[in-house]
Amino acid sequence: MLAFIGRRISLALLILFGSTYLTYQLAAYSGDPLAGLRESTDPKKEVIIAELTRTLQLDVPPPARYFLWLQKALGLATGAPDFGNTVILRLPVIDQIAAAIPITLRLVTTATILSVVIGISFGVLSAIRQYSRLDNSLTLLSFFLFSLPIFWIAVMLKEFMAIRFNDFLVNPTIDISANILISAVLAIIISGFVSGTRKRVLITWIVTFGLFVTLLFLASATAWFRYPTMGIFGIAILGVLCSLGFTNIFSGFGNKKAIGAGLASVVLGLIAYYPFQAIAGPGTNYPLMLALAVLMLSSSYFIGYFFTKVDKGPVIRISMLSAFMVALFTITDKLMQTWEEYFKLSDGRPIQTQGSYNITIVTNDFWVNNLDLVTHLFLPTTALALGFAGYLRYSRASMLEVLNMDYIRTARAKGMPEREVVLRHAVRNAMLPLTTLLTFEVAGLIGGAIITEGIFGWRGMGSLSNEAIQSQDLNLLMATFAISAFLTVMATLVADLLYSVLDPRIRIRK
Amino acid sequence: MAFSRKSKKNSQQPIEGNETGSSNVEVAGLSQGQIIRKRFFQHKPAIAGLIFMICFTIFVYTASGIHLGTDGNQFTIKGWWKYSHEDLLPQGSCADGCPSVDHPMGQLPNGRDYFSLVTRGSEISLMIMIVIGGLSAFIGTVTGAVAGFFGGIIDSVMMRFTDFILTVPFILIGAVIGYNLGNFGVFPLAIFLGLFIWPGLARLVRGEFLSLREREFVDAARVAGASNRRIIFKHILPNSVGVIIVSTTLLLSSSILLESGLSYLGFGVQAPDVSLGALISAYQGEFIYAPWLFWWPGVIIIAIALSINFVGDGLRDAFDPRQRRRISRKERAVETGTRAQVNKS
Repeated sequence: MLAFIGRRISLALLILFGSTYLTYQLAAYSGDPLAGLRESTDPKKEVIIAELTRTLQLDVPPPARYFLWLQKALGLATGAPDFGNTVILRLPVIDQIAAAIPITLRLVTTATILSVVIGISFGVLSAIRQYSRLDNSLTLLSFFLFSLPIFWIAVMLKEFMAIRFNDFLVNPTIDISANILISAVLAIIISGFVSGTRKRVLITWIVTFGLFVTLLFLASATAWFRYPTMGIFGIAILGVLCSLGFTNIFSGFGNKKAIGAGLASVVLGLIAYYPFQAIAGPGTNYPLMLALAVLMLSSSYFIGYFFTKVDKGPVIRISMLSAFMVALFTITDKLMQTWEEYFKLSDGRPIQTQGSYNITIVTNDFWVNNLDLVTHLFLPTTALALGFAGYLRYSRASMLEVLNMDYIRTARAKGMPEREVVLRHAVRNAMLPLTTLLTFEVAGLIGGAIITEGIFGWRGMGSLSNEAIQSQDLNLLMATFAISAFLTVMATLVADLLYSVLDPRIRIRK
Repeated sequence: MAFSRKSKKNSQQPIEGNETGSSNVEVAGLSQGQIIRKRFFQHKPAIAGLIFMICFTIFVYTASGIHLGTDGNQFTIKGWWKYSHEDLLPQGSCADGCPSVDHPMGQLPNGRDYFSLVTRGSEISLMIMIVIGGLSAFIGTVTGAVAGFFGGIIDSVMMRFTDFILTVPFILIGAVIGYNLGNFGVFPLAIFLGLFIWPGLARLVRGEFLSLREREFVDAARVAGASNRRIIFKHILPNSVGVIIVSTTLLLSSSILLESGLSYLGFGVQAPDVSLGALISAYQGEFIYAPWLFWWPGVIIIAIALSINFVGDGLRDAFDPRQRRRISRKERAVETGTRAQVNKS
């Protein structure tokens, strides 16, 4: 094993050397970094060109210049790695990257988590109900999302979910014809996912239609979009619904202990609602919030643990997930309370289309700052989270493959309930290959999403490398590239090792 | 094909009547190819996608004609559409260039006919898609087949080479080609992208070859004295053709998105040429004032990618109705991973 890792790491270094060399050559021949300068009318331009040529060592041909760069980057000359300065502003590259990485991570982490969770859960559902209406609708949806150029959907999101939504907030009333139209369309979409007879689909349509009409009517009458609130009752209703939903998924309503544990967690969350309002004032900070979250999750763990004596796993899962959802709703509620203040601070245009934060808002209020973050994250996260289609297709295929295995038939034959068969035997094994996918995904996160960052004006790693290529800034480009190449190469190694650890059937060939 | 896994499966467990025919007797009379064709033609979305692609390709190539070569020695066949994408025309009935009978997709502010631009753009996007898809399918299949069949040192060298290719950023390739070979048209771009997009397919084919070469029919062929070449081309390749075809169609749909993404960033198709991605990039600012300039190229990209995806899905169902592909799951994870990366950026 150790020999294998050692060999692979040395090979990885070799690959890194090769790919940085190739990239350096490609980048060096992709343009002239001084092109802009040559066309300028600056009287001192000859001097500047000569100066830049000297500092950037442009007189050395690229195949040799690479080794000068490598020598510096590895810190062979000075003892410390030196990635040089950017061409135009003469800033240290390493600082630029240190500033860009957190921005990129903030952007892509939420989107990745969302798309993984949505993709896997719908993929599993789709596989269990293969060739049902649900499966067909999800297949159609995922193909559609696959085919969508992200820059195209981003322009539309900006127009319809930000600009028009902000306009709508001036007078947030929905007239009755628009209400009926929106509800009808939403109800058609939702009933499209329901399997069964025509009658059942029709009933679903009528129920969801009625629900949407009522909700939109209430939202319009109370100007909810302008003054959103949830309150403890909203949290209670949603929390109980989520808790029952988790119970239905993980243990079924036959298990009274599970229902009890889930509801107990919801009640715990509701009890904590008023103390939370007192603790979490404008001056709160992240460590405190994190501590509260840990407290909440650990107490719900113990609720699950002590509620039942046999088969604790699903019960603990239900109570922890219920507690998590209630905490999420409480935070949403808190952000909604801040909405009014933020609305005023942002001049009545809360949903932002550009940048990662609003520079005109300078405040120490924890909740205003976080709401600012949320409103900026909203559009790019939505655009990126549409990538759940990939996870959906993938987990569906993997799940179908596992469901056809003999041991699933054995589990069914020995009389195991279908829920147990799916959750214990099928899903766990079907998720194994997803670890590989996720390893690559995590490695790719740092590289950033070039197009999305560009459209929404986030200065993350993607924008940085795009900018570096546009301006032929070799130092900046090579630093961003070296990081992402390193992570990609490591990801292939980690994926191979992780897979052999998780799945003992795969042996690493010595 | 007597040892092929599909016919083996069929003899063990007869396929349900609604899939391949009404009775087992009839199934026994069909060759593997016939069964696959039959299943494919029963997949309605796939047939719709195939018909759309054929009709659309014929439509755009005849509309704007065929243009080959660069400025100096151009070879041109004129299409049936009355305007060329380079004509500067007077504004039509509508002052802001809205769609009319004369200009079904509207006009640009400088008077160009948008229909001819869009058809020309589709022509280039389709051409790039086919070149990238064909080239990478070829390289990926050869690399994967050689690595998987011979194993050992050849395998590890080739797979590390694949890792190496994986690390090269596409955007940089676009930039290099745009700067150095920009005036040679779009062929160099398509070819160079094709040279770098194959690793996913190679891993998949390698996995297929790794598992197939251990099967009894390969041993039988070897005992009978077949050469490596014969085993690869006559025994293993026909059995892995399903995987290759399916992932090639998926590669096609991701390469049209890749091309449009690169053109959007300004590193793809360069100025005198147009492509669907370049059109969206150029006119996204017009979304409020002249939305048709933004809608058409996007709708066409979606239609092309969607119908190719449906054809791919139909092919997968045809080659493998139970989704029981016998490649190791690890290989597929890696393949999907690279695909997801391509889609993301």
